[in-house]
Formats: sequence, C-alpha cells, structure tokens
Amino acid sequence: MNTLFPFGFPLATEFYLFFYILTLVIHVVFMNYVFAGTAYLVWAHLFTGGPALRRDQGPMALVLKDWMPFAVSAAITAGVAPLLFIQILYQQEFYTANLLLFHRWMSILPVLIVGFYLIYLMRSDFMARRSGFWRRVVVVGAFLCFAFTAYSWTENHLLSIQSDSFWGRFYGEKRMVFFAPELIPRLALWLAGSIPTMVVMVSWQLWYSQRRGCEIPSRDIERSAHLALGGLALALVAGIVYGVFAGSPIRRYFFGWMTWLYFLLAVAGVGLQAYAWLQQRQETALDVRYLIGASLGALVTIAGMTVVREAVRLGEMVHRGARDVAQFYPLHEKAFGVGGFLVFLIFFVVMIGMLAWCVILVRKGVRPDQPTTQG
Amino acid sequence: MSLPYYPINDFDPAMKGMVIGGLGIFHVFLAQFAIGGGMLMCYFQWLAQTGRSALARRFLDSYFAWLILLSFVVGALTGVAMWFTSIQVGARTIGLMIDEFHWLWATEWAFFCVEVVSGYAFYRYGRFLADRSRMILLVLYSVAAWGSLFWINGILSWQLTPDGWLKDHNVWSGFFNPSFWPSLLFRTITSMTVAGLIACIVINTMRDLDRERRRELINRASHFLGPMILLLPLGVWYLMSIPADSREWVMGGSAAMTMFAAIAGGCTLIVGLYALIGLIGQKLYIDGLTATVLCFLAFVASGGGEFVREGTRKPYTVRMELFSNSITEREVAELRRTGSVTNDPYPMRDSGQYPNDQVRLGAKVYRFQCSVCHTVTGANSVVFLAQTWTTPQKQMNIAKLQHTKPFMPPFSGNAAELEGLVQWLSWEAAGRPMSWSETTQDRTAYLRIGSWINEAGTQSAQNLGLMRVDREGQ
Repeated sequence: MNTLFPFGFPLATEFYLFFYILTLVIHVVFMNYVFAGTAYLVWAHLFTGGPALRRDQGPMALVLKDWMPFAVSAAITAGVAPLLFIQILYQQEFYTANLLLFHRWMSILPVLIVGFYLIYLMRSDFMARRSGFWRRVVVVGAFLCFAFTAYSWTENHLLSIQSDSFWGRFYGEKRMVFFAPELIPRLALWLAGSIPTMVVMVSWQLWYSQRRGCEIPSRDIERSAHLALGGLALALVAGIVYGVFAGSPIRRYFFGWMTWLYFLLAVAGVGLQAYAWLQQRQETALDVRYLIGASLGALVTIAGMTVVREAVRLGEMVHRGARDVAQFYPLHEKAFGVGGFLVFLIFFVVMIGMLAWCVILVRKGVRPDQPTTQG
Repeated sequence: MSLPYYPINDFDPAMKGMVIGGLGIFHVFLAQFAIGGGMLMCYFQWLAQTGRSALARRFLDSYFAWLILLSFVVGALTGVAMWFTSIQVGARTIGLMIDEFHWLWATEWAFFCVEVVSGYAFYRYGRFLADRSRMILLVLYSVAAWGSLFWINGILSWQLTPDGWLKDHNVWSGFFNPSFWPSLLFRTITSMTVAGLIACIVINTMRDLDRERRRELINRASHFLGPMILLLPLGVWYLMSIPADSREWVMGGSAAMTMFAAIAGGCTLIVGLYALIGLIGQKLYIDGLTATVLCFLAFVASGGGEFVREGTRKPYTVRMELFSNSITEREVAELRRTGSVTNDPYPMRDSGQYPNDQVRLGAKVYRFQCSVCHTVTGANSVVFLAQTWTTPQKQMNIAKLQHTKPFMPPFSGNAAELEGLVQWLSWEAAGRPMSWSETTQDRTAYLRIGSWINEAGTQSAQNLGLMRVDREGQ
C-alpha cells in the first residue's frame, strides 16, 4: 500500500475506515477521561499528601468525581458507533475473537456495571460518611473495573488479527485467555496517553469554573501541568517499549506510506501538548491559549495514533497470513450499497442541534452563583 | 459460496436461546422504563408547571434519579451486552442485521446520544432551571428515547416479517415491514405501563409524604396505565400481521409458545384490570409491595411476549433468509454436496473422547447444525428428544427434518454426516461407551439416507407449503 490512509482502498472500504476512525477518536477521548480520571482518583486517595495538600479534595479530584458518571455514560455511548463500524469492516475477525474469548470476554459487561455503580457510590453522601479506607476501596474497585475492560479490549483486538490456524488451535485447546508479548506495552501506551487527554479536559472544566469566578489555586494548575507532562513522558517510554516488543514488521507500519504523515502529526501533537503545558505551568491562572494548544495537540495525537493503529492491524493481518485485505472489499461494497445513509445524516444534524439546545438551555438557565455539583 | 465458520461455544445445560432471551427480556424491560419514563416525566412536569399538582415536581426529581441509576447504567450496558450475546449465539444473524441496517442503527445511536445528554443535563441542572427549560429537556429526552425504540423496532420486526425486503432487498421495505406499526404501538403502550407501575413503586419510597399525598401522586401516575385497554386490539393486529404458520404456533400449534402467549396475556390482563378498575376507576391507593408485584407481572408479561416473538420466527432467525443455525436456504444444497463441516476449521474439543471418527464427525455436525437451539443433555436436549427413536427412524426423521417438525430447518449435510449424527446420538444415549462400531460400510443405509434427504428438498416446511395454513392460503 503506497498511498496515504485511507486512500488506496476501494471507495466503500475508505468510507467505512473513515467513519470508524472518526467515531473511534470520539470514543477514545471519553475513554481517556474515564481511565486516567479514575487512575488519578486512586492516586489522590491513596496518596492524599496529608492535611495540607489533600489531593482527594483538590479541584481536579472534585471535578472528576462529579463528572465521572456522565463520562462513563459518554464513553459507552460513544463506543457504540465504532463497534458498529468494526462489524462491517472486520466482521469475521471481530466475531471470532469474541467467540474464542467467550466468558472471559463477556465478563467485561458485569465488570463495567460494577465499575459504573462504584462511580456513583464514590460521589454519594453515603460514601462521604464512610471512613477513608472504604472510600479508597471504592475508588480502587472502580479503577480496576475500567482497567480490566481496557485490558480485555486490547486482548480481543490482538486475538482478532491472528491467523485462522491459530484460532483453530486456540479453540481446540479450550483457551479463553490470550496473551501476546506486545499486549502489556501496547496497553501501557494507550493508558499513558490517556493522562494528558484527561488533564486537558478537566482543565477546561476548571477554566469554566474560573471564568465563573471560582479561584483555582496555582499549585493545582502547576500540578495539572506536571501530570500532563508526566503522562506524555510515560507515553513516549511506553511507545518505545511497544516498538521493541512488537518487532520490526510493526515498526515499519509507523513509517510506511500509509501512515508516515499521521505518525508525524501524532509526534507533532505530543510536541504541541508539551509546549502548551510547559507554558501553562508558569501561569497562575488557566490560560485559554495554552488550553487550546494542548487540546489541539491531544486531538491530533489521538487521531494520528488511531490511524497508525489501524495500519498496524491491516498490515499485521497480511503479515501473519491471517487473510488478504482484498477479501473484505466485496463485503464492504455490499454494505455500502444498502440505503439509510442520507437518513442518518439528516438525523445526525438534527441530533447535533438537539444536543446544542440542551447545552444552551443549561448555560442560560443556571446562574453563575448556583452550585452545579451534584450532591 | 463462502460460508463463514465461527467457533461455537457450548452453553450446556442452558440453551443459547435462554441466555439471549433472559438478557433480552431484562434489557427490553429497562428500555421500556426509559421510554415510558420520559413521557411520564413530561406529564408530571406539565402538572407541576400548570399548578395542577404541587407534589409533581418533587416526585419528578425522585423518579429521575431512579431512571438514571437503573436505565442509564444497567439499561445501557445490557444494550451492549445484547450485541455481544447475539454474537455468541448467532454471529451470522447479527452480522446480517448489521450489514443491512447499519445506517439505521447509526441513526438510533444518534438518538441515544441525545437521550444520554438531555437526561444528564436534567439530572444535574434540572433543579436550577425554569419550568419551560425543564420541559424542553424532558421533551428532548422523551423524543430521543422513543426515537430509539422507533428505529430498533423496525430492525427487530424485520426478522419475522421481512416480506418486501425479500423481493427487493431495499432497506425501507425491510424497515417498514408488516409487523412494524402494531409492534411499535404495542411497545409504546407497554413502555407507558412499565413507567406507570415503576412510578407507583417510587412514590411509595417517598416516606416523608403522608398516605393521601402519595395517593394523589399514584392516581396521577395511573393515568399512564389507561392506554393498556388498547393492548388487546394491538395484540390482535400484531398477530394478524405475522405469517400464518407463526400465528398458528401461538394459537395452539406449539404448546410452549401457546403457554408463553397465555402467560403474557394473563399477566397483562391482571395488571390491566387492576389498573383500570382499581387505580383509575376507584382511585385506590396502592402500597409498595402491591406495586412491585404488579411490576413483576408486567415483567413476566414482557418476557412471555419476547419469548413468543423470538419463537415464532423458527426455523429462521430472519424469515425465509437465514435459518436458526445460520445457514441460508441457498447454501443447503451446496452443503449437502460438500458436507457441512468439511471446511469447518475448528477442531472438536476433547477430540479423544469419541470412540471413532464417525461419532466424532456426528458430534461436529451436531455442533454446527443443532447446537444453536439444542443441548446435548441439558435444556431441549437433542439426545433426550431422539432417545426412543430406532436407528432407521432417526435416519429418516433427521433426513426429512423440516417434514418431521415444521419449526426445524432442513438437514444441511450429506448422508455420511447424517449417519455420523445418528451414531453420535445413539452413542450419547447409550451413556458414551468406550467402544462403538462404525457403520461406514453400510452402503444400503447411506443410499437410503441420501434418498430421504433428496426427497425432503432443500427448503423449509414453510417454503415447501407443507403446513396446513400455507396450503389453505394457496
């Protein structure tokens, strides 16, 4: 493949790849908030910093606790769209991985339900009356639930790109757990990358509070910047480790024709984020210019890495002899031929309008002096 | 022809249908709560802002917290679980549904996004907002929730009545199918009923209100149970819209389906009579326990209805297109020629436990063609069902499967596979002995089986016009 992603494929394949990437990026943004957010809460609750610091009562922890239920809902809802497109793009691969992992895979659903309820419990009055020990148990429990889900998705993805003969052996041996050397570094790369995204999203929320007259201590702003920079550094380390474990064929996809520009953009996004946070660190208040810079950087990095991830999948399937990508084309062509796209577009625009209406109603209806945190 | 083979998991002793059915009923009930709940909250907001009920606003905020905790968490995740479980049970069926309706599913997703955002906006900020804004948020929520029902209903009802789609494969012919409208209206009223009954439970949790005040709220909420009176004509309309043979199973042709239909109807009748006579007619008070019992009856009714809806599709998952075992009618002839499991890349687990290759082949045929609806020794056990049949009886009954039972698909393999299946059934029924004689040299039996398979044809009983209702229709 010597054209830039998603070009070089038949139109139908390009079309579905584009929508898949677009919706996956949206999902990843919310997923990052949930994962890194709960990870931060664990850290803030386990290492509170004593009475002087009280990380668990800091602005970031409070915002995260307050918004986490919505973020989990948003992540799950946003996850439905890429789940739809993956079933068109790689139907047999995705279904086979689901079936092979069986109970192990299905267990993410009760685990997610438990995690979701722990999030609600975490911010309830009931928990506020409990001792610090129980609050820590709940926060750690929620984090573990989301971490397990993230691990399972990576496991599922890696199993889906194995060859038919591997699947046959896996099934015959009655295995339900798949492990590959690159699994942990790959997961670590995603998870470390989620930290700066979460920080920038929470920072926007804090900036909004700041604009409404609430003062954000400069110590917390500096801590946010350090957290984001630390996340970027960790992601770089995880990326290098992943590159080592993944082997040379995968490393080639990063610099191939299909993805070189996206990989470059992802690296540039990391640079932009680092610059923005280094500048923000020196300020006493959240500065909208740096937040825009960090947001753009995060978005470009996520989009770039999501495309690279797809190129690795396509390349690996061929490399492992799993299947010829061309065999998907007729299936995509067939799906492309069914109706309903125009209706989707019309309703999508209407829905965007309705979502905007919700936001406008709330913004107009809630006075600045009213507390907006849910008790 | 490239038939996709998937690894098949064993749910023994449960049938796969029990797993998806159990989850589906739970999800549908919660979804109905979300849909009807939106409408009910609009009604209570209207009562509050027009001064008709001083308590309406308090109830509304309390009700919404329940809705968020139940519907937004378990409801949303069981929706995802439905997808994953569908993959486990019938990957090819859900694949076909996605292929044909993915843009309508995407449209439903857009509605769902609005449902989540407007719901959370109301949950977080509703108490700070003016009445008009509260009402707008609730209306947006309700429209989005009902809209998601509108879209998913078309896809689900298509499975049983794809009529026009079979001719032109047009997405709209499939979506606006004969059972679309009765099913949509029936589900809408069911949603209102569920919302009304859960409201009665929630009102009883508001212990700071005295009994008279709770009664006032209950009487208001019970207005949502009034439309239940339309469920009977809508049910009849739905039955008239489904294929005649499917209807016949509900009306006595299949004991299980008739029983489930009767349970659904009976529970609906009890809830309906209590609501219409007691709550609406006599404005009775209802305590939490009674409300919970009524809600449970509504749950059972929903479960019975969903079972009937799933069951009447047999032997298909998409009528006239895809059999329950994920084989199309067009593929049957080819699989009879090549063998249904010849190209199945997945080996038998515990392959060494079988006494010979023929029995092993039979077990593989069972896994591919039968295990979606049957278990070996658990629920709907295939061994139990066939244990009293003689060997020639087994051979003929399976070879002419759609003639033996009209809700079974045609056998899709060759004579050797069928004989393997017969030997595996007999071996299982005999308690899995260590040794078992092969019958592969019995050419007469193979010829006899081949002749029966050919006589049976490759089509379903419905397509062959074997059923009484089909013959009368002609």
